[in-house]
Amino acid sequence: MTARADLLQGSLDLLILRTLDLGPLHGWAISKRIQLLSRGVLEVNQGSLYPALYRLRDRGLVESEYGESEEGRRVKVYTLTRKGRQALGRERESWRVFSGAVEAILGTQ
Amino acid sequence: MGGWRWMARRLQILLGKEGAEREMDEEIREHIERETELNRSAGMSPEEARRRALVAFGGVELHKEQVRDVRGVRLLDDFIQDARVALRGFLKEPSFTLAVLLTLGLGIGGNVAMFAILQGSLFHALPYPRADRLVVGRVTWNGEIGQTVSGPDYFDYVDRSTSFEALGAFTPFELRGTLTGLGEPERAKTMVASGDYFEALGVRPALGRTFNAEEAVLGGPQVIVISHGLWERRFGSDPAILGRTATFNGTPYTIIGVMPAGFRLMLDTDAWLPMQRGGGWAQARQFHNFVLVGRLAEGVTVARAQEEVDRISASLAETYPDTNRNKGLALTPMREALLEGYRTTLLTLMGAVAVLLLIACGNVAGLLLARGSARQSELAVRAVMGAGRGRLGRQLLTESALLAMGAAVVGLALASWIQRGVLAFVALERLGPVEPELSPAVVGFALALAGFSVLLFGALPAVRTARADPAAGLGSGMRTAGSRAGTRFRSALVVGQVALTAVLLVSAGLLLRSFDELRRVDMGFDPSDLLTASVQVGDAEFPDLPSRVAFFRTLMERIRSIPGVEGAGMIDRIPVRMSGGNVRVDLPERFGMSGVFGQLAYQRSVLPGYFGAMGIPLVAGRDVAWTDDAGTPRAIVLSSALATAIFGSDDPLGRTVGIDAGGDEPVVLEVVGVVGDVVVGHPANGTEYAMYTPYTQRAGTLLGLAVRARGDMGAVSSAVRQALREMDPNVPLAEVGTLEGEVARVLSSNRSIAVVLALFAATALLLAAVGLYGVLAYQVARRQHEIGIRIALGARLGTVVSSVVWGGVRLVALGLVLGIPLAWWASRLVREMLYGVEISDATTYGAVAFFLAAVATAACLVPGLRAARVDPVEAFRRE
Repeated sequence: MTARADLLQGSLDLLILRTLDLGPLHGWAISKRIQLLSRGVLEVNQGSLYPALYRLRDRGLVESEYGESEEGRRVKVYTLTRKGRQALGRERESWRVFSGAVEAILGTQ
Repeated sequence: MGGWRWMARRLQILLGKEGAEREMDEEIREHIERETELNRSAGMSPEEARRRALVAFGGVELHKEQVRDVRGVRLLDDFIQDARVALRGFLKEPSFTLAVLLTLGLGIGGNVAMFAILQGSLFHALPYPRADRLVVGRVTWNGEIGQTVSGPDYFDYVDRSTSFEALGAFTPFELRGTLTGLGEPERAKTMVASGDYFEALGVRPALGRTFNAEEAVLGGPQVIVISHGLWERRFGSDPAILGRTATFNGTPYTIIGVMPAGFRLMLDTDAWLPMQRGGGWAQARQFHNFVLVGRLAEGVTVARAQEEVDRISASLAETYPDTNRNKGLALTPMREALLEGYRTTLLTLMGAVAVLLLIACGNVAGLLLARGSARQSELAVRAVMGAGRGRLGRQLLTESALLAMGAAVVGLALASWIQRGVLAFVALERLGPVEPELSPAVVGFALALAGFSVLLFGALPAVRTARADPAAGLGSGMRTAGSRAGTRFRSALVVGQVALTAVLLVSAGLLLRSFDELRRVDMGFDPSDLLTASVQVGDAEFPDLPSRVAFFRTLMERIRSIPGVEGAGMIDRIPVRMSGGNVRVDLPERFGMSGVFGQLAYQRSVLPGYFGAMGIPLVAGRDVAWTDDAGTPRAIVLSSALATAIFGSDDPLGRTVGIDAGGDEPVVLEVVGVVGDVVVGHPANGTEYAMYTPYTQRAGTLLGLAVRARGDMGAVSSAVRQALREMDPNVPLAEVGTLEGEVARVLSSNRSIAVVLALFAATALLLAAVGLYGVLAYQVARRQHEIGIRIALGARLGTVVSSVVWGGVRLVALGLVLGIPLAWWASRLVREMLYGVEISDATTYGAVAFFLAAVATAACLVPGLRAARVDPVEAFRRE
């Protein structure tokens, strides 16, 4: 696994956690929400969302259960767990440190 | 725990794979449908909307695969695939597979067997309720734990202590009695026990009751408690047994209880007689016949009970300085007391099988490495085709794991055989029947061992093989790359195996030498061609001394007239077979001078002719005689070392000695003879002080018979039995055997541990030799080309052979250099089982080194000679 892939994967996890922090959502809605919140800048590769979701679920950061959508369709809804909320706090902090550092380096040029 | 959850989850996923797949399909379909709807609401055509949705998603199958990967299904799929490949490979190489399964199976089997025995004994649940509260009480002399406690002391401990819920006492040796009436007379094993004995153990009788207070006093009612076995065998499980009579040694006893089946402590017992204050076995403070068993009161620790008992001992020593000075009582948790002596034996054997497993793992690792280098090209192809290094290593580990699992199964199958073998040699009779079983713990242990061996023999070869450079592997067939390091690794394995084998050989050698020393102890008599038996006459039929003497005198005459019999005599306790019965003896005028009086000596009662029959030399004076009777002064014959201890260089004949018999006055006897010293108890104790009084002056009941005869012992023993039956059909001839057999039986525990360990050591040697052979044979095969060139260039065959052999001998020498100090260190474990041999015994080490070197050289010679037979033409053609 290269460092670049790790970074991207890590940031996708962070984005999913952040999105679910606002409330339970199903898969498709998560991808739309990320797009919306990033003002269309971040185009998440929709397919890669699912491996990330399953991984987060296996790590106990999100939970999934079947629920009904507004249209009355059976959908799988993801919720942030307590562990997930804690992880989000940590990840957010380290992301800020990281992006701040990158910003500082880029800014000095 | 986390690992288990992970595994469980993966298994669940694998088993419920259908469900998980469906869940994922549904979810992705839902996603794409929504995306399609969104696109359509933006005004696209249905086809276009769906196409865009799929593009945005980006390769449905790829992402499904990623999901599966994330969820670990992949790992299990890989495993199944690896396992299939591995099994196919094993079937293609049956001899390799068989060698691994047997070697490893033997190693695992030995360990499982010993583990089950250990579990069945060391962690054996004592068959008494709340057994953790039970303690055993034994006498101490100057703080050293002895065996038996005196009866009067026991009653004082009972009366004065508060630490025990119940404190009982029992006689810890086999007391044989003759049971008559109801058909054939039978010899039964009896035990004298206090009423508290049963209460302390917490076992209630199956029928009736045990002894009450009224029966625990001298002259109390003649009652008896019998075992379940005797009840079944002798009384046909009569439900109305209570109140019936059993006649022991001519005395009728009323049966008051039947114990449940399997009830025992240390010995098998047929019947229990009540211990009476002041009665037989408990008359005086200087007679020590009992072991105590106590149940601690709730909340009392062993240490606290010991403190209390120490206070009582101190006060007894003050009140009875003559008998109780330096005397105490030691309390030991029962489990610990029962395991004394066994623990070392079992742990030694456990250590030995563990070493054996290590050696077996070494061989298997060697085999795997050899197979690995032979498969170099196959693996290289797979690497080139894109299999990752981790993936290849994983496949090799999967193979090892499968082999180990197979070996675990073989091991479990072998374990019960090995177990039976070990238990046949190492009897653990004090614990009662130890029945090791295939408990979940044992199976778990086998699996754990298998896992451990995978790490041990599988990991390194897997890493090494997987790391090999594929280009080299493909380039030049199987003769080159990676093998040099592999050979070095295999050589290191052989060095380790030789070192470990040396450890086992040295321990086994020390024990064998020790056994040999014991066997050669000078007994003071000649145990060969000596028939022994016991004859016991009933109190009722032979009420007084003259009637018994008359009976035995006739019996002696009849036996001596049997053809082939060279001598016959009788003694109350046959040496080696029965010890005990020692009292203090000294000059009569020293009696009562505490600290001065007394050599502790075994007192024996004999009939004339005993010394002659046993081959014990008469040093001075005379044997006891039929004329020593109630009308003549009481006579005594001393063993020569005892005579010297009492009289120094003075002539003891005609002088008197006093025996402390528990009264106020000594019993005074006149020394009429001096005989050679003999071994009385265990041969390891050497000869001990003994003194012999004429049976004709003081009668007992049980008499041991010693008959020296030439020729067929079986014929002689039936002639003796016939003679006895003609005289009185109610007197049984029991415990017929030879003294030689008795000595062998006493030494059997020393012999068996030596034999079992020697068997383990021989197995280790065999494995190490095979390992050595494997390495050299492989080297020769690899160097065929080079050897061919050398031979073609005119190298002498001797040089070729010796270069190969020398390579092996160097490994063995290195192994010995490492192994000998290790063996010396490890032999401390067996030190307490040794007799007459130091752990640094040079003979043993020399013999081990020589033997190991000889076997190893033989193992090297075979590949060496094969090297000499290399045909240069053939070697080149292969190239």
